[in-house]
Amino acid sequence: MIAKAALAFLAVMLASSAAADDAALFTPCRACHSLDPSAKIMPGPNLAGLIGRKVAGDPAFDYSPVLQQARDEDRVWTLQALETFLADPEAMFPAMWMSAQGIRDVAERKALARFIANPVSR
Amino acid sequence: MDRRHFLASAAGAIAAPALLRNARADEAPFRVKYFPVPDASRSRDVTPCSDGTTMWFNCQGNGKLGRLDPRDGSYRLTDLGPGSAPHGVIVGPDGAAWVTDGGQNAIVRVDNDHKVTVFKLPIKDYTNLNTGVFDKTGIYWFTGQSGYHGRLDPKSGDIAVFKSPGGHGSYGMTVTPQGDVWYASLAGSHIARVDLKTGNARMVEPVTPSQGARRVWSDSKGRIWVSEWNSGNVSMHDPASGSWRSWRLPGQRPRTYSVYVDDKDKVWLTDFGANAIVRFDPATEKFHAFPSDKPNANVRQMDGRPGQAWGGESGTNRLVMIETLQPPA
Repeated sequence: MIAKAALAFLAVMLASSAAADDAALFTPCRACHSLDPSAKIMPGPNLAGLIGRKVAGDPAFDYSPVLQQARDEDRVWTLQALETFLADPEAMFPAMWMSAQGIRDVAERKALARFIANPVSR
Repeated sequence: MDRRHFLASAAGAIAAPALLRNARADEAPFRVKYFPVPDASRSRDVTPCSDGTTMWFNCQGNGKLGRLDPRDGSYRLTDLGPGSAPHGVIVGPDGAAWVTDGGQNAIVRVDNDHKVTVFKLPIKDYTNLNTGVFDKTGIYWFTGQSGYHGRLDPKSGDIAVFKSPGGHGSYGMTVTPQGDVWYASLAGSHIARVDLKTGNARMVEPVTPSQGARRVWSDSKGRIWVSEWNSGNVSMHDPASGSWRSWRLPGQRPRTYSVYVDDKDKVWLTDFGANAIVRFDPATEKFHAFPSDKPNANVRQMDGRPGQAWGGESGTNRLVMIETLQPPA
């Protein structure tokens, strides 16, 4: 019984630690973006509810031409599209206004995409 | 291979001829010249080299510091280290280039013989290094967009890092003729003055709420000019009186990214909405726009020397120079 409880506790702690790690990956993004739908105006678009949303889909944000074009082409953010974007943002949307390095590590990229996609992330 | 030899051979092997065009008729005193740097990736912040001729420029996409010779368009790229992603570059009192390298979480010094020295920040946090300046005593100050500012003593190599008030956003930085150091907070929508003894920063709020103060540059009187990304304004703060003034850039949807004040106190701005460099004359309060001849130029910073305003077109891998041929009427 005690062993089962310890294992359960360990599982919870590991999950909590992993969530904290995923949240930490989003830290640099916070300089321009928020996942809180009620956040104030930021330098970049609000990312709440990103997955399933049209590219350049924050109505309060004025996007760069390449992202406006993607919106006009009815492109939509999926988890896979987000992972591709995070690998090399400029390759997906050349000359966009956002200036960011891609994330080389596949596991980190997937974890960050998961965190952004999770509706409870803030 | 000495430098002269390299530049001579590079001119033939790499450089394309610079493009020359005149600005509109009503901007006749200006001449715009483009310098392709195709081996750069996302050419961005620029600064004049201490040799009085060449220009340093950062290649954020491939971790290099470039050096352009405007006389023939040749250029050389220097590797800054594994994982490098350089953002800002300035020249120090020692004549070397000093780079804020977000990728290495380090300050990188490159001398005129292209020798590279890396000063790693003494913290594990990813500071997202942005811009640097030297104060009057030779201390290098820098910002990190994750909400940090700090200082490096070039003589000892000692580095101190401070958490900026207001959290994320510490971005452009400037030093006034009086020796005061200011920075802008993009996410925090404020500017701040740094106490050079303690490293503490005191926030000052611009008049426009949530304006997105991105970059700052001092004029000769110590007034702080601010490029406002969210509002599309340029604003000016006079610390002596505490006053503010602001002007909206022309066009339907200005997005004011960078600001640079030249030796004549003319204000050079970049507007992503108009894909243009915009010159503002504080004396007449008039704007003159210099749209790029290519789409998505994305000039993220400017600097210059007397009579020349320079920028890096991060979207086209070119540098651009606007020469003021004679004082405007």
